[in-house]
Amino acid sequence: MKVITIDPTKCVGCRNCELACAFINSKTTCERKASMIRVNHYIDEHAVIPMTCLHCDDPWCMAVCPAGAIVRDPDTNAVVIDQDKCAGCKMCMLACPYGNIHFDEERHVSTKCTLCGGRPRCVGHCISGALNFEEVEEYAAKTRSKVDEQMSRRMRMKCRPTGVSDND
Amino acid sequence: MTEKCIDTTCRMCGTLCGITAHIENNKVTEIEGNPRHIFNKGRICIKGSSAATWLNLPDRLRKPLKRNASGNFEEIDLNQAMDEIAEKLLNLQQEYGANSIGIWKGEGIDFEQQENIARRFAHAVGTPNYFSNDTQCYASRHIAFYLVYGCWPLADYANASLILNWGTNAPISHSHWMQAINEGREKGAKLVVVDTRYTEIARQADIYIQIRPGTDGALGWGIIHDMIERDIIDHKFVDNFTFGYDKVVEYAKSFTHEKVAEITGVQPEIMIQVVNEIAAARPRLASWPGCGLEHQINGVNNIRTMTIIDALAGATDQEGGMRIPIGFGFPDITLYEDKPLMESGPIGADAFPVLYDMRHECHTGLLMDQILSGKPYPFKGLIMTAANPVLTNANSQKVKKALSSLELLVVKDLFMTETARLANYVIPAASYLEREEIFTNGARRAAFITGKYLDYGLQTEYQFIKGLAERMGAGSYFPWEDDHELTEWLLKPTGHTAAELHTAPGGYIFGDNPCNKHWQKLASGDNRFFDTPTGKVEFFSEYLESKHIPGIEGLPKYHAPYQIAEPDPEYPYLLSTGARKQKFFHGRYRNIPQLYKAEPHGHLEMHPDDAKKLGVANGDTVRVTSRIGSFETFVQIMHPKEIFKGSMQHTHGFADQNVNNITYDDIHDPISGFPALKSVQVRVEKI
Repeated sequence: MKVITIDPTKCVGCRNCELACAFINSKTTCERKASMIRVNHYIDEHAVIPMTCLHCDDPWCMAVCPAGAIVRDPDTNAVVIDQDKCAGCKMCMLACPYGNIHFDEERHVSTKCTLCGGRPRCVGHCISGALNFEEVEEYAAKTRSKVDEQMSRRMRMKCRPTGVSDND
Repeated sequence: MTEKCIDTTCRMCGTLCGITAHIENNKVTEIEGNPRHIFNKGRICIKGSSAATWLNLPDRLRKPLKRNASGNFEEIDLNQAMDEIAEKLLNLQQEYGANSIGIWKGEGIDFEQQENIARRFAHAVGTPNYFSNDTQCYASRHIAFYLVYGCWPLADYANASLILNWGTNAPISHSHWMQAINEGREKGAKLVVVDTRYTEIARQADIYIQIRPGTDGALGWGIIHDMIERDIIDHKFVDNFTFGYDKVVEYAKSFTHEKVAEITGVQPEIMIQVVNEIAAARPRLASWPGCGLEHQINGVNNIRTMTIIDALAGATDQEGGMRIPIGFGFPDITLYEDKPLMESGPIGADAFPVLYDMRHECHTGLLMDQILSGKPYPFKGLIMTAANPVLTNANSQKVKKALSSLELLVVKDLFMTETARLANYVIPAASYLEREEIFTNGARRAAFITGKYLDYGLQTEYQFIKGLAERMGAGSYFPWEDDHELTEWLLKPTGHTAAELHTAPGGYIFGDNPCNKHWQKLASGDNRFFDTPTGKVEFFSEYLESKHIPGIEGLPKYHAPYQIAEPDPEYPYLLSTGARKQKFFHGRYRNIPQLYKAEPHGHLEMHPDDAKKLGVANGDTVRVTSRIGSFETFVQIMHPKEIFKGSMQHTHGFADQNVNNITYDDIHDPISGFPALKSVQVRVEKI
């Protein structure tokens, strides 16, 4: 099953993901408050961190929901809220260790990422490539090869005879 | 209901990403990124997808409008409107002279062939007066690059070892470049960002340099000074392929660490770090200057200076460096050779000879003065294709006054813009999904084609200009029936057809573009390595020196903008304008409801120390005043690291907070004629 993977080292905080998410969910606004994905920008730390629902295998939000409104979509594996059943008790918001459940102040129900039914718009709008929708094993393989490359580069540097640069 | 998905090119800004448009019953329902596109690979920004709303807005213009005697617009038949416009243009030419009319290309419709078609039209009907938005964005960099390289190069970010960005913010202005930058970084490239503001791209920079506004050239010369001292120079390249190196060596001598630090505010150790990175990365140095540099009075020379750095490092036409494009061999449709019309006095050609010479652009700022003064000759009629200078040109009040006083203003656009409201005729435009056009990328040797996928019976740009030309007795210049015939004609010399290009709308590759073309030329005895007067990369331009522009020499010497050298105590802050927001493109898209809701107002972005001094808090209303006027806007206090203290930023294009009400149209870069939109001396008061 595919998941949204996040690489904060590529994120520039352009917020196109937030704008797209807000619009696909609300159909009327791109305001940040309507977005399920949030990008946090830490200037002093020189860091930008996008965060959205991880669709946990053992979702605490689902376990805690007294109305049984949180279920797993069998097609996409997304953890989704049936808003007709949601009582607006906000237990799921308290349970989520990542703060990825939001509250719709107009409809008084919880709201969260649905993976857009298998075509997450945040990923399609991630112009830097920080967000991807991919098999988690694929992501792990990419990470391994990245680390391998860095290691081999370091090894090449060590082996290089002194006084010879790349430009010679 | 049948839905089809077509691959085409986004025209919501100039970056040209590939899109897949979902079309249902002659209506676009959704737009997403085209994963088969060679640049954006399936990713687009919010402007791109919001076009699905924009193109269907109920107030989109569908019927031609004419202003009646009482000043209101009423509908008019298209043919009648075209007849009347052509007749009025001819009458104006008869009464005031052939050059009393002109055409202005905007970006709102963005038909790739529109620029040259408009140029052809102007000369075909006997006027040299062609204007465009390029004289406030783009033309200055074009001039700088062509002076040095004789072409518009491509920074090969994806293969670079060092990416150097000067006053350019890819995530907001050129979204698909960001993937290439990150590809390079993933392979180990370092990223250096030089900007007065800590922009989006700065957030991932390995080295971020917050430079004093307008002083990039001094930093550039400081880097050159160190490169020479430490012999980080590609001597083989410099000896064989460049002109004026001895003068560079001589001039760079004075740019010591102390001097550069004093001018720019950049500490020597930071500059040394950058030079270290250049030493380690060369020749894989991919560097790019943005509008941040263009909008200073020393813009062209600052851009030339950083281009010299690339060449000294040997990055010219290297993988991961500055790639030199190869042309496509499309025939030229302009008439500058057959009918140059220099004797007709192209507006601005005397004041800004380099701009006219190298870009054949008349000057939009001087146009306003000429409309109002009638000097040196009367200018009475203007055709404008989707430009909105009331919001986007310097000195909006003058623009409004000038355009309102024309005898004929015709605006072709998709919506009733602030400028269209001043027009005598407003003609509805077909969008980018309603016509065919071709784009090219010479560095990647790729061509892209679009097609007519929607049909609302609206007139295309080509039909509009051809229709006017026919009615004005210049129809023979436009023998092509429609855009498609024009496309085929342009492609003919290449041996390719539109049908072939349509098989790969995400990038049809014409062939390879090998690196080191200058070495190949040397080997084959061709000594015109680059398309400059000497055939070499020109550090020193005899051409420029021969123009005798006051204060301008052959070498891009650094001169501090006077706004920085001599601050005006009455207008103590330096206002920078023209930085974009990801939701908008200059004056456009505030009418897309979801985007407007997310950012309904412009803001004056300032340093917290300046806010404290002014006694203002976030959201407060302030009045910003320059010598020519004032406007009211809202305060946004930035993080102390985000903006250079004493300088402020306000984005343009907000009708209710129109920063161009106070930007000067009479302070220019003398080479390019660009207004100094990034150093407007202002004072700020809380109200």
